[in-house]
Parts: sequence; C-alpha cells; structure tokens
Amino acid sequence: MLKKLNQLSFVIGLFFILVALILLVGYLLGASLKQPINLYSGLGMLVFGIFMVLIKEQEEENHS
Amino acid sequence: MRLHFADYLIIFLYFVFVIAVGFIIKKRIKSSNDFLNSNRSIPLWITSLAFISANLGAQEVLGMVASGAKYGIMTVHFYWVGAIFAMVFLGVFMMPFYYGSKARSVPEYLKLRFDEKTRALNALTFAVMTVFSSGISLYALAKLLEVILGWNFDLCIWAAAGIVMVYTFMGGLTSAVYNEVLQFFLIVLGLSPLIIVALQDAGGWEGLKANLEPQMTHAWKYMDRAEHNKMGINFMSLIFGLGFVMSFGYWCTDFLVVQRAMIAKNMSAAQRTPIIAAIPKLLMPIIVVLPGVVAIALMQPALASKGYAIPMGANGEIDYTMTLPSLISHYYPTGLLGVGITALIASFMSGMAGNVTAFNSVFTYDIYQSYFVKDKSDKHYLNVGKMITLFGILFSIGTAYIAASFNNINDFLQLVFSFVNGPLFATFMLGMFWKRTSSEGAFWGLLGGTIAAAITHGLTLAEGKGGWIAPMFPISSGMGQAFIVASFSWLANFVITIVVSLLTKPKSDDELRGLVYSLTEKVYATEKKWYLRVGPLSIILLIITILLNFIFF
Repeated sequence: MLKKLNQLSFVIGLFFILVALILLVGYLLGASLKQPINLYSGLGMLVFGIFMVLIKEQEEENHS
Repeated sequence: MRLHFADYLIIFLYFVFVIAVGFIIKKRIKSSNDFLNSNRSIPLWITSLAFISANLGAQEVLGMVASGAKYGIMTVHFYWVGAIFAMVFLGVFMMPFYYGSKARSVPEYLKLRFDEKTRALNALTFAVMTVFSSGISLYALAKLLEVILGWNFDLCIWAAAGIVMVYTFMGGLTSAVYNEVLQFFLIVLGLSPLIIVALQDAGGWEGLKANLEPQMTHAWKYMDRAEHNKMGINFMSLIFGLGFVMSFGYWCTDFLVVQRAMIAKNMSAAQRTPIIAAIPKLLMPIIVVLPGVVAIALMQPALASKGYAIPMGANGEIDYTMTLPSLISHYYPTGLLGVGITALIASFMSGMAGNVTAFNSVFTYDIYQSYFVKDKSDKHYLNVGKMITLFGILFSIGTAYIAASFNNINDFLQLVFSFVNGPLFATFMLGMFWKRTSSEGAFWGLLGGTIAAAITHGLTLAEGKGGWIAPMFPISSGMGQAFIVASFSWLANFVITIVVSLLTKPKSDDELRGLVYSLTEKVYATEKKWYLRVGPLSIILLIITILLNFIFF
C-alpha cells in the first residue's frame, strides 16, 4: 500500500475516491447534500478514482 | 456563497494530498538536476498533462470563461487556431533542438545557438515575468476568495503561497509537475458537472443559438470585417496575430510550458508531450469557454426565470471575471460547491507552482550559475535552487500586494508579455531554421521587436488603453490590440534580425550542429506502432482541429 503511494495514478485515484465518498455519504446522510448533482458527480468521481487505482495495478502486474 | 462542513472537508483533503505529494517526492531528490529538471525521468502521460496544466492557471480558467461570456464562441480561436497548431509545431520541429541540444532551459538554448547577451536578455525578462505572473495569480485568487466567500485577503495569500512553497520546496519540479496532473483532473472533473447542468438549463446548444445573437455562436462567420464581431478584428489579424505570432510565441518559446516537455524520458516522449497534450487542449473549450457563453444566454429575457445573472462591477458594467464563480455559486449545492472552489484553488496553485519552478530553474542555471558563482559542487546548486524557490514565493507574495495597490498592473503585465513573447518567436524561428542568423542579429532583433511593440501600443487605443504616443489608430477591443501589437513586434524582429545577420558574421557550421535544422541529423520515427509516432498523431490532430473549425464556422 505504501509503495503504491509512489505512483501518481494511485494517489490521484485515491483522492477522487475520497472526494466521491464525501459526496455519496453526504448524499445518503446529510440533508444539505441531498441533491441529485452530488449523487451523479460522486458516482462519476468514484468510477474515475477506481479506474486510476486499477490501471496502475495492471501496469505493476505487467512489470512483475 | 456559504461553505459547509463537507465543502471545507474537500478543500482540506486537497491540501493534504498536494503536501503529501511533496513529501513522497522529497526522498527522490538527490541532486540539483533532480530538483530543477526532474532528471529527465518523467513518464509521457505525466509530462503531457503537466504541459497543459501549467497553462491552466486561475487567470486562464477565469479569463477564458470571461472571454466566452464577452466574445462568445470566437474565444475558441485561442485553442483551435492558436494552441493546437503551435503545440504540434513545437513537438514536430522544435523539441528536437530543445531536447537534443541538452540545454536545461530555453535561455540556455539561446546561449548555445547565439551568445551570452541574448541568453541574459531572455533569462532576465523571463525571471521577472514569472514572478510577477505568479504574484498576480496569487492576488487574483485571494481577491476572489475574499469577494465570494468573505475570507480574509491576507490569510488567503499567505496560506495559499505557503502550501505551494511546502510542496515545491520539498519536491522541486517533480512535485510541481505531479500536483499539476492532480490539479488538471480536479479542474476537469470539478467543472464538468457545471457545464452539464447549466447547458441543460439554457436549453442545450439549440437553446443557446435561439437566445443569443448569431455572433456569439459562430467562430468564423462574422470575422470578414472587424466591425462585424465583438472582438473587433478580422480573420487576417486573427490568423497572423493570434494563430501565428502570439500562440507560437507562447507555446513554442515560453519555458514555463516547454520545461514540461524537456523533462520527458527520451526524445520521442519529449516530441509527443505537446502533441498528446493537444488532445485534451482540443476539448478544453467545453470546460472553459462554453460556460461563459451559457452564462450570457441565461441572462437573456427568455431565460430570466432561471434567476441567474453575472454580477455587476463597481463601474455598473458586467464583471465578466465573476462569470465562473457566479455559475458555481448558482448551480453547485453543498458538497459539489467544495469541489468547485477546490478546482478554482487548484487552477491557481497549478499556475503559481509552474511559474515558481520555471523561475528557479532559469535563475539558478541562467543567472546565478552563469554570472555569479560558477564551478561549485552540485550540492551547492541544489541548495541554491531550494533557496530560490523560497525567494520566488516571497517575491510572488510581494508582487501580489503590489497588484493589490495598482488596479491596472495585470493589464500592464499582459502587455509586457505581448511585448516579450511576440517578438521572441521570430528569434527562435530564424535561429532554428536559418543558419545564417547571427548572434548580433538575434540580440538586436529581439530588442528592436520589443521596442516596436511599445511603439505600436503607443499609437493604438483600445478600451482606454494604449495611445500614449498618439492615439492614431482606434481598435474596438483590448484583445484585438494585443494581436496587432504582437504582429508588428514579430515583423520588426523578423526584419531587423535578417538585416543585421546579413551584415554580421554568423557562427560556423561546426558550432551550430544540433542547434539548426539544416545541420542536425533528422530524427525518424523509432516507435513501431503508428499511433505512437509524432507524424500520424499530428496529422490526425490537425484534421480534427480543422473539422471543429468548420463545424462551428
């Protein structure tokens, strides 16, 4: 996990996953965040974040 | 506009990440080359996105949205006439010289090709401009946060500069470049929902066309005569002034962006950096021009029920600079509002860090090492580079306060940019492609071009600016004036350089090998797959760019 922090794509992916979680959890729990645009943007960022994390993992496998 | 806990949490998370990137990179910094040049080891996808992101500063993002609102779709000319062609030219023709010459900076290339005095002139003007540009960006952000969020101006300046300082001091250029990539994605993903909801609210593209004057939705149709469009220029001035002189001058010679390509792993990657960067650049008008056009449409009587308006300035006219912040405020709820504000902060940091890292490379290599302290250990230059980073940030803070005192300093700086960047491209073009260009020709051409720019500005008057010699030629927009100033400065440099070169002695062929087109071994494609080669990629890009111009004609 710590090694992956050296990979930029992983760091970017992690950042967007966390932002997405704030939007999605906020949408589910908080009244002020309960707006469809938060839900859709959160889902979009979550997909992007996961993609960025996984794409690097695949590269790693190729190298090993 | 009021932020809630979730918004602050997103902003805080962003700060944690950019500083963390600095910490992660820190352990890789062993030499001055690592700190100032990233040891030419950065992967292509990162150099490409950093190349575009270094240009995606707060002034670019806010300014292009503002221009979209003021001039309409014509603003795409900055991308589809200006940037793309220049970026392709840089990748195909100029990177082999920058990268192949092993120069560490653009001024150093000028020294190799010409002489010390041409390098000194370029290094000094560039160093001053980057610090001022960085400071004005800092001022713009602090002012924006003060106006829209009510945050303390001084606190914004010191906190924002402090964060940039921490990560550039620790990780140097690599840290700045890595954060630029994060900032690029944040700007794109943070502003994308805005354009979707705002455009939907305005009735889509058809709604825009129905509610706006036709000049606002056509890129070329009303460019036959200057008085037929809001920019106040005809297609000839646009193609020459913006498409050729200003864009090529900026994208092909400004070390701030060229540096991102110079740190690629090899020649092929260096050449492809601006070309790969041109792909997102081609689509960038969706993020930074279209919102402005939509904003103006939403203010038309038919869409008054949407309740949106760009705020008015103190002079009672529309304050176009506030277009993007006002759209964010209108459409983004708590949560996404934090993302939008973070995207604005990211655009500022991206611009500032880019300027600071380019400044410390040029200052350390082209000023300090060349004229003050030569032949010291690498450790010495690494420490100097780090100290210069601190000074660069402090100078930026100083210029931010100067900008706060003089409300027209930004206009002045933009003018100085057009004075310096406009003629510079003529020096490079002649220097790289005409071996007869002499060192004396380059120096006097550069100086003469800059003086010609000042004279042109003194004889033209636009929006109350210029005309300080005699307001003989009125121009309807400041942007049109900038194109004309740049055109005359380029022409003057071009002619003076040729004349002086013909009257003075050029360098020998041996000295120019690897620095001039006719004396350099041609680089042929080494990549096996066609889509990795510079040639096919460039042709596809240019075809798509031309098609987009036709579609939005």
